[in-house]
Amino acid sequence: MSRLILYRLGYGLLTLFVVSLVVFLATQALPGDAARAILGRDATAERVALLRDQLNLNDPLAVQYGKWLAGLFTLDLGDSFANARPVSEYLGPRVTASFVLMGLAALIATPVSLLIGAYSALRRDRAADHATSAVSLVLAALPEFAVGILLILLLSTGWLHLLPPVFAGSASAVLADPAQLILPVLTLVLAVSPPIIRMMRASMIEVLESEYVQQARLKGLPERVVVWRHAAPNAIGPVAQVIAVQLGWLAGGVVAIEFLFAFPGIGLALMDAITTRDIPVIQAVTLLIALVYIVVNLLADVVGLAANPKVRVSAR
Amino acid sequence: MPPTPADSEHPVPRAASAPSRRSVLMAGAAGAVVVPALSACGGGGSSGAGSGRLRVGVAGGSAEDTLDAHKPTDNTDIARAHNLYAGLCYFETDYSIQMALAESIEPNDDATVWTIRLKPGLTFHDGSPVTADSVVFTLRRVTDPDILGIGAPQLATMDRDNIERVDDRTVRVPFSEPYVTLLDLLAEYSMGIVPEDYDPDNPVGAGPFKLMEFTPGQRSLFAKFPGFWQEGHPRIEELEIINFPDETARVNALLGGQVDAISQLPPSQIEVVRANPNIETLESESGMWTPFTMRVDKAPFDDVRVRQAFRLIVDRRQMVDQALAGYGSVGNDIYGRFDPAYVEDKLPDQRERDIAEAKRLLAEAGHGDGLEVQLVTGPITPGAVAAAQVFKEQARAAGVTVNLKQTNSTEYYGENYLQWTFAQDFWATRNYLSQAAQGSLPDAPFNETHWADEEWVDIVNEARRTVDEEERNRLIQQAMAIEHERGGYIIWGFVNTLDAFHRKVKGLEPSVTGHPLTSYGFHRVRIEE
Repeated sequence: MSRLILYRLGYGLLTLFVVSLVVFLATQALPGDAARAILGRDATAERVALLRDQLNLNDPLAVQYGKWLAGLFTLDLGDSFANARPVSEYLGPRVTASFVLMGLAALIATPVSLLIGAYSALRRDRAADHATSAVSLVLAALPEFAVGILLILLLSTGWLHLLPPVFAGSASAVLADPAQLILPVLTLVLAVSPPIIRMMRASMIEVLESEYVQQARLKGLPERVVVWRHAAPNAIGPVAQVIAVQLGWLAGGVVAIEFLFAFPGIGLALMDAITTRDIPVIQAVTLLIALVYIVVNLLADVVGLAANPKVRVSAR
Repeated sequence: MPPTPADSEHPVPRAASAPSRRSVLMAGAAGAVVVPALSACGGGGSSGAGSGRLRVGVAGGSAEDTLDAHKPTDNTDIARAHNLYAGLCYFETDYSIQMALAESIEPNDDATVWTIRLKPGLTFHDGSPVTADSVVFTLRRVTDPDILGIGAPQLATMDRDNIERVDDRTVRVPFSEPYVTLLDLLAEYSMGIVPEDYDPDNPVGAGPFKLMEFTPGQRSLFAKFPGFWQEGHPRIEELEIINFPDETARVNALLGGQVDAISQLPPSQIEVVRANPNIETLESESGMWTPFTMRVDKAPFDDVRVRQAFRLIVDRRQMVDQALAGYGSVGNDIYGRFDPAYVEDKLPDQRERDIAEAKRLLAEAGHGDGLEVQLVTGPITPGAVAAAQVFKEQARAAGVTVNLKQTNSTEYYGENYLQWTFAQDFWATRNYLSQAAQGSLPDAPFNETHWADEEWVDIVNEARRTVDEEERNRLIQQAMAIEHERGGYIIWGFVNTLDAFHRKVKGLEPSVTGHPLTSYGFHRVRIEE
């Protein structure tokens, strides 16, 4: 199993390299460069020339990319074009802020949806099950952006005035005012949960119909033990993959949510950087998102293997 | 300072309604939520920070936010520059120029040498005195080839090596040519006076507020500067400027009580905001214009008849109503609306839509069978894309097919900026000669219409040398008439600025400068809980 993990890690590094190259070339294909984007309407020929020179934008592309890659090996992500500060210093608080947001969403969404999924399976074809199915279908069909807007209208500006509608705090202190986090986290939870719920329900139904569960019941074990000790752990294996896909999605999906709530995380930083053609920041954020994808999927594989005794033993 | 239920104890002159259940609910929720945030992130703020802090949501802002006094680009930069720095003079709300740090700024007989005299006893935020040396340093910094401030092109004729410090409060600035509009430049927000040891990363100015915290792309926090030149100002203890690039988030923040004022209320949200009795809107006329730009040196616009026809195509009232949702006024193809020379009686009559005449001119120019043009548009300023769409529809009646080329603003201001044949732009309030130096003279940095009419250039250059105001205004009126007849701009309207704030915020008033919230004049603001 450890060989498999090492093999996957190697692949992950290759993927990151390809991502960085593709993103670099894609930013070059965008019209306009950082100097023009930063100066905007005030771009006189003299000021563009001065800034291009200061940002080393006159170097050949291969040299620009090579410099950036060489810096990466010394863990130096370069300086932001837009504000001349080191990328790590600029992104640091934002990365933390985004991870707080995603972490809270993941910590809430995963157990809650597993429980709801399992409960639906137990109540199969009854009212509660139908209601869960309907709601999760609707939520799965709505883009997360729309869900967020609806929540703002319902809970902040339209009907009730219970929660702050946007985030007006600073990235370095996102937990200072937890109420501002509720809506963004809730939106993310609603966005990632439906597939997990549906998968858990399906998986649980399958397990509950299996012979060993019948055997356990025939043995006279209490239903509670049958469900939570025998059925649930075996149902989680297949769900792990879905959870991984959903949590991996979080890293990218957070972009739209951060924009909606003006949340100062990596998503807003990425949108900002694309507008200003701030290549070092774009590279850093996309690599980070890709890294989250890779790590989460790797973890899912490990959990999937660990949950399957046959594989666990044979792959030793 | 979230709304508290106590608000209702103060009678409100305008909307004297009892607090509704909704407003009390909102007040409670917002109060519970926002106060801890303030005390937590106030940094060095005093314990009473809550009562004297104005929180403003400003449109725009990004990672490229800067505090550099001489390079403010985005709206949030401009908002900070207005509050962190003070210039020698400034634009009042009616666009008249008043002295700020300067006591007087006087030209010699032919406006080739200007003498600046400072007010006595002025200091910067760090307590050091504002002296003649600071003025010399500032003028040199703006024009430094390694810095190139926004104002540098307008100081191209300044003899920067021979600026003379006469005494501690007096500076003499020589120019290689007569320069009558220097005051227009010195009053700009990008001309703040800074000390000789100025460091943009730790900026010191003489504006009403001094910097406490700054996070690019997010927010900045300022504290009252008691030594501000304007006696009795500022009236609040702290100022917080928060970036809100997205207009929905900006409006929501105001409705949710997370900010006290916002700039640039989108017209689509006016009804929502006006429905809230705690929020007031501030509308003011401005000299900001959002023209169509026709390159006079490129077909088909190199034929003056085509330009005239295009100007006759526009139904200006309809365009203001649709593109600006009615928040604007009709233009007459002449900029510099608040210039002392802009006197309607002495200028050509308002141009009205005349399709028959437009068709006749187009036919004369050889386009009797119809004309197809490409119009480059993009979200460069609110209403720009809508105006392009309205023009496309209006042009149909004259047999002109307009193909819209949609760009985003980075592409719009990319390599082809100032080279588009038929496009759009936006300009702030300016006096005529200053605007001409920016966008219409052959050597102007942003001459997007490539206008170089010889007769006009001669008149404008003469006006730029004429110190006598009456004579200068007469020349300007001649120049205005020429641009009205054959220029490359279609100036269909002027934009009204629209802001919103909680009713406890007092002291903001309409201002024609085009900069929101009384030119970000937060030193005027009082907060009445």
